Amino acid sequence: MSNMPQVFNRRNRVLLKELSKTDFKLRYQGSVLGYLWAVLRPMLLFLILYVVFSKILRFGADIPHYPVYLLCGTIFWNFFTECTNMGIQSIVMRGDLIRKLSFPKWIITISTTSTAVINLFINICVLIIFALFNGVTPSWTWLLVPVSIIEIYSLALGIAFLLGSINVKYRDIASIWEVMIQALFYCAPIIYPVSMVANYSVLAARIVLLNPIAQVIQDVRYNLITNTTITTWNYEGSWWSKMVPVVLVVVVFFAGAIYFRKKCKYFAEEV
Amino acid sequence: MSKVMLAEHGGDVAIRVKDLHKSFKLPTERAWGLKQAIFNRLKGIKGYKRQQVLRGIDFEVKKGEFLGIIGRNGSGKSTLLKVLSGIYVPDKGEVDVYGTLIPFIELGVGFNPELTGRENIYLNGALLGFSNKEVDEMYDEIVKFAELEEFMDQKLKNYSSGMQVRLAFSIAIRARGDILVLDEVLAVGDAAFQKKCNDYFEKLRDNKQTIILVTHSMDNVRKFCSRAILIENGKITCEGDPAKVAKAYENLWA
Repeated sequence: MSNMPQVFNRRNRVLLKELSKTDFKLRYQGSVLGYLWAVLRPMLLFLILYVVFSKILRFGADIPHYPVYLLCGTIFWNFFTECTNMGIQSIVMRGDLIRKLSFPKWIITISTTSTAVINLFINICVLIIFALFNGVTPSWTWLLVPVSIIEIYSLALGIAFLLGSINVKYRDIASIWEVMIQALFYCAPIIYPVSMVANYSVLAARIVLLNPIAQVIQDVRYNLITNTTITTWNYEGSWWSKMVPVVLVVVVFFAGAIYFRKKCKYFAEEV
Repeated sequence: MSKVMLAEHGGDVAIRVKDLHKSFKLPTERAWGLKQAIFNRLKGIKGYKRQQVLRGIDFEVKKGEFLGIIGRNGSGKSTLLKVLSGIYVPDKGEVDVYGTLIPFIELGVGFNPELTGRENIYLNGALLGFSNKEVDEMYDEIVKFAELEEFMDQKLKNYSSGMQVRLAFSIAIRARGDILVLDEVLAVGDAAFQKKCNDYFEKLRDNKQTIILVTHSMDNVRKFCSRAILIENGKITCEGDPAKVAKAYENLWA
């Protein structure tokens, strides 16, 4: 089967590149603003959240650069939802190829999610421009952001591999996930600052920070915007509770990859 | 699992199939979806029925052979082809493939109506194992052969079905592999296209290319194949000289 040197052989690389390119092109086909939507979508979501939560409900008054802080959260959240929603559907959507060609199936999941990765990079550029205009001073900790990107992408891929393989047989999964993601949105400190939760209960804030999505978003805010940000690392009490989010990501990624590898042989007949 | 091995290892054998079995789970009464799955589990219903498609297939394809596989609809030809191509995993038995195998289960796999002709050439080329650079080199020839020079920047959805087939075929014949597997590609297109197909097959046969062809056309079997097998109900019932096997096929109705 696939041993390491073969995984990224020439044919697989070409396929991955070509399928990613196609997905990216098709995504914005026929829309007037085209690629601009990649930036506009999180921006418009940000605008709504900003008006509702910052201007009307007065969230985040104690946080410096709160608009940037909010935008940062929506960009990473948007990446996570895009990646998982598209990744879970990827195998079913590419059923025509799977039924007629033999090639490693992970290429499909990776190429489909790569559009979300490209979008994330564009959005981070926008975020940085925003931050500079807002008076955030550049710092060497900006260089740590890629670590957070790798972490959240691994989590999203693990979920996409796991639920994407189940979705081949039980198409309900995609719908269930869309509802779950709504619930997850309110569990993560995207619109509300962690400090607000901490004011009610320290325990509740610590529980919120066990969520890998919360940990990643807070880390990026800490490294990119302000080191007054509460993170898993500076708020959790014990070393093992600090490790929970990272361990969760590793477990989800490997569980997803192993399950996918076991099931992918039968995608062609079940899809 | 079909194992792809180095071409030299097989000696004069290109493909060796031993005691191949394949069955499918066919969902009975709407066993699709989670609700029904849980329901069936509770009621103790399996929710599917096993359909045995291949029941012990044995054969070998020698290098340079043009093998025809014939049989009625539902006899298991296409399933066999998909197992050889590594698309399906066999339940039991072995498939050894010596060399690279290029399957054509359908022409124009991955063609996307929303992309232009040009973009589709690169996408389809990648699926056949060509790098961008290799497609660059043969791009002009592909377009010329398909006679679609003026349409390359049009979206594929604006092509007629004949134009799509011509484009797909022009890319397909560029494919280079030790073994080509073709499923019914002759069955499409007009007389002029059929002529092109025939020329292509004659060239392949004369070049001693190893080919497996699934077809319903006994004319093609007699004209091109060096050997043929007849599949009935998931088993090989006749094998050998193309004329003899074609006769046996025609006798299924007699």
